Amino acid sequence: MTLPSLNLLLQSILSGVFLGGLYGMIGLGLGLSWGLLRQINLSHFGFVFLSAYLCYQMATVGGVDPLLTLLILPPAFFLIGAAMQWGLAHFRITPFTSLLVTFGITVMLESLIQLGWTADFRRMASHYAERKFIIGGLFLPVPELITLGLALILAFAVWAALRFTDLGRAMRAMSEDAPIAAAFGINQKALSLVLSGVCLALAAVAGICLALTFTLTPTQIFAWVGVVFAAVMLGGLGSALGPLAAGVIIGVSEAVTMVVAAPSWAPIVSFSLLILMLLFRPGKA
Amino acid sequence: MRVVLAILAGGVALAALPWLGASAFAQSFLYLLFHWMVLALSWNILSGYTGYFSFGHGVFFGAGVYGTTYLAGRMDWPFLLTLPASMLIAALLGVTLGAIVFRVRSVRGEVFALLTLAVTFVVATIILNTRIDGGPGIYLIGVDIPRLGPSPAASLYLLGLFACVVTMLAAYGVYASKFGAGLFAIHDDEDVAEVMGVPTYRFKLVALGLSCALAGLAGGIHAVFVSYVTVSETFSITVPLSVVLMSVLGGRRHWIGPAVGAVAITCLLYAVTSGSYAVIGRGAVGLILVVVILLMPNGILGVVLARLSKRRRREATHEALPLPLAATPHQAGGILLSVSGLSKSFKGVQALSDVRLEVRQGEILGLIGPNGSGKSTFINVVSGHYRADAGEILFEGRNLIGREAHDVARAGIARTYQIPRPFAEMTVIENVAMAGMYGGGKSKGAALDDARRHLASAGLGDKAQWLPDELNLHQRKFLELARALAAGPRLLLLDEVLSGLTPTEIDGAIAMIRRIRDQGTTIVFVEHVMRAVVALTDRIVVLNHGKLIAEGLPADVMNDPVVRTAYLGKAHA
Amino acid sequence: MLEVTDLDVRYGIAQALWQVSLTVEPGELVSVVGPNGAGKTTLINTLAGLLRASSGSIRFDGADVTRIPAHRFCQHGIAIVPEGRRLFTGMTVLDNLELGSYLPAAKARRRQTLDEVLSLFPALREKLPVAAGLLSGGQQQMVAIGRALMARPRLLLLDEPSLGLAPSIVADMFDAIRRINADGLSVLLVEQNIVMAMELARRAYVIEEGRIVMTGPADTLLQQPEIRKAYLGLEG
Repeated sequence: MTLPSLNLLLQSILSGVFLGGLYGMIGLGLGLSWGLLRQINLSHFGFVFLSAYLCYQMATVGGVDPLLTLLILPPAFFLIGAAMQWGLAHFRITPFTSLLVTFGITVMLESLIQLGWTADFRRMASHYAERKFIIGGLFLPVPELITLGLALILAFAVWAALRFTDLGRAMRAMSEDAPIAAAFGINQKALSLVLSGVCLALAAVAGICLALTFTLTPTQIFAWVGVVFAAVMLGGLGSALGPLAAGVIIGVSEAVTMVVAAPSWAPIVSFSLLILMLLFRPGKA
Repeated sequence: MRVVLAILAGGVALAALPWLGASAFAQSFLYLLFHWMVLALSWNILSGYTGYFSFGHGVFFGAGVYGTTYLAGRMDWPFLLTLPASMLIAALLGVTLGAIVFRVRSVRGEVFALLTLAVTFVVATIILNTRIDGGPGIYLIGVDIPRLGPSPAASLYLLGLFACVVTMLAAYGVYASKFGAGLFAIHDDEDVAEVMGVPTYRFKLVALGLSCALAGLAGGIHAVFVSYVTVSETFSITVPLSVVLMSVLGGRRHWIGPAVGAVAITCLLYAVTSGSYAVIGRGAVGLILVVVILLMPNGILGVVLARLSKRRRREATHEALPLPLAATPHQAGGILLSVSGLSKSFKGVQALSDVRLEVRQGEILGLIGPNGSGKSTFINVVSGHYRADAGEILFEGRNLIGREAHDVARAGIARTYQIPRPFAEMTVIENVAMAGMYGGGKSKGAALDDARRHLASAGLGDKAQWLPDELNLHQRKFLELARALAAGPRLLLLDEVLSGLTPTEIDGAIAMIRRIRDQGTTIVFVEHVMRAVVALTDRIVVLNHGKLIAEGLPADVMNDPVVRTAYLGKAHA
Repeated sequence: MLEVTDLDVRYGIAQALWQVSLTVEPGELVSVVGPNGAGKTTLINTLAGLLRASSGSIRFDGADVTRIPAHRFCQHGIAIVPEGRRLFTGMTVLDNLELGSYLPAAKARRRQTLDEVLSLFPALREKLPVAAGLLSGGQQQMVAIGRALMARPRLLLLDEPSLGLAPSIVADMFDAIRRINADGLSVLLVEQNIVMAMELARRAYVIEEGRIVMTGPADTLLQQPEIRKAYLGLEG
């Protein structure tokens, strides 16, 4: 173990923050559906990748600016989410069965992606890719900045919506005591459709950011599961700002582990955190 | 016994295949079938039987893989010797994990699933970064495979077959035993199982240990089968997920279910992925999982068995009326239970405060009080479900404070629940037999015989093979009573057995409770239906806000002004 | 205004109410009393749409509401103060109150109603930003009543408002209920605290083992020996 230079350390902390932003963004929708709908939606990861590939397709083949896909993909995914919830509402779904069912959906999405784009690595070429700012000897790549920015904007937007709008408060009320919420006129079925749609729209945004910053391959879907779950549980289920904050903490600790120890040690940080969270704060789950 | 012989006979028959000229391909295909059957069946011993779904079966399998890899590949142990070592390593890992995890009450369901998955990745990272693997993977080409059959492939085939036979015997043995019945009770309602005398913590640990050891055996054999071991393959998420899928598809409730699922999925995967449609095949497996979970939550075998048992029930004839319960002489007088200074609070709310009371041998003691006065807490504390903050509970002179609920049950205390909590996936008679086996300490056979008598005296004799779901509330309340009695308790705690019953049903229940007492069981009777309290009880104690406010003969207590204020609000004119 | 006819309700497999009929006239305060487990909460929950009737009918203001979805009862002008209060404990007092006026008609007058509620329960004013779960039992009961009033109902269903409260607070609570009713709101009150409930109401029903066994003017009911029997299990 050798001590890294200060500059290297700062740069890796910074990249941890950026990575944490992406963790938080993926975790936002996952945590909302877990906390408010009581569904552990593994297919969230599948949809993040689907969105990333669609963004890749539009940008590389169609020549669309990746940021423009923000106008197309989230609304489309909102509809998919609502439709999925509409279908699931016909069955009695516990958090546990939701985990199994959405795992099945994830496997289907993975196959779909592999059919469409093969298992090869895909890297989206866009005019954002190579741009970066350099401040005080530190690199600030533009795609990462966009990701972090979007993560912050969305987390705060969701936070404000849950806190200050009637619709958001109704969703929280519904997750606390659905029958009483209904007694005050809150239509649980309709709200669940909206909420599920919102979660997938957030997955779509996260996917676009993923395409901007990462090389894609379908088998990577499951690589994100553990670390994002850790962020969600650490940040609090149904919380808007929690997953982002926790994601950044995890991202930074991973990045530091990578420089101080070795890159292959990084997963141990997030998974150990997840285990501790599950053991000592499971009341929140 | 027939099943055991069938498994052994099947094993012997299949063992002859290599000498009958089966092709190397057939042998390795069958090996893979055995491999997945071992993994799925062993997973099921903990996760299917108790309902603790583990997503971490890969880590125990992986412990076996790397146990053998390390010992045979690096330490030059003889291969066969590494197998028991691998089983031990996997079991130790599992039991250590379980010893921590099973202590936290809230780690159930999805939390347990995620936790075991996370452990998989942690262990994988450690192995990847230490001498055990170090990164590039390990070749096991140089390991000597002992010649058990005509060829090395046959040797592995035979080892796989052996592991499969052992696992089937274990899965069936547990399934058919009293231990297995305890595991199924944990699945249906862990709290009730504990209160009925099942040492839930120990049982879960044993089941996990056994499950892990078998997964470790599969891992050890598989390491040599693949002969090149990497962390990413060994600990990939496909192992636990395939195992879960196989078991859910086949049916978790039956011991052979996971094996059915394993065969189905392995053949399906082989059929679709060997051709040019591998990717679509994987997608199809995902689709099957979705459909099965939504439409057949109990799996293929679950659906088949439900059909069969319905038919069996229709064919069941009325059984001959059994002997009445042996009446023990009604012995009154001595103090059976003595409680003093008992206190319990929840988040600052004092549910019981300094309660002192005695229950005398052979009496029915009425325990009444307004909603939230602490009656249910009292029952929960005496039965060991909650731990008292302070005080003393002496039952037949022995202190019960600090003893686990299953210990209290074995000491001779049984309870019923206000809302009946039968084990939902056990038949009526199995429910009653559970109490006989654990609270009553009987063998499985004796408990079943005994259960039949208890059902008859509760008027449920013809419903023995029904599921609790198919009973109405009145019948469920009587099932609850029969189950409590089957434990042969000396003290019976009845929590609002009459609530929700019609007046006629209440009259029937009153008569039955009186019979129970006349047969020598002492009863604490918590109830709101006042005419029943007055009709049944010898003495009454009244709780209000967790404090004992009155005690005495029914007529005296109900005329006590303090009691009237507690019940009616203001002082009553 | 409320007309319940021959209501049967099953709670899972248990039948909890048999052939219950009752009426509430505009502006009236009616009590339903009975021992624990008699079916009072089941009755209230059915009238608020939380439970389905298996047979019989509920008519409110001439409209048959027996089979409408749960979230429509509020629209018709029925609001509930449930047993055990059931506040949204993770949310602030203000959130709880404002959620009472979730539907458009009530929302249009949210400011005004909030002022009315705060003048009825001045103690809540400084608690508005506090999480409802952190309040004392009495204050939580005020929030529960306030939340129901925010819906601007024409019928208020109150389930055991005295449960778990100290006697002095119970008196305040009943005082508030009296004032709410005096302002013209119809109230159906379910209570275990029979003396207080009878003092407040003009008419009352006695419910026992899931059936209405007696009805009449509140003051005469209290003198009946049957009441003593139902509550204390004693003859005479």
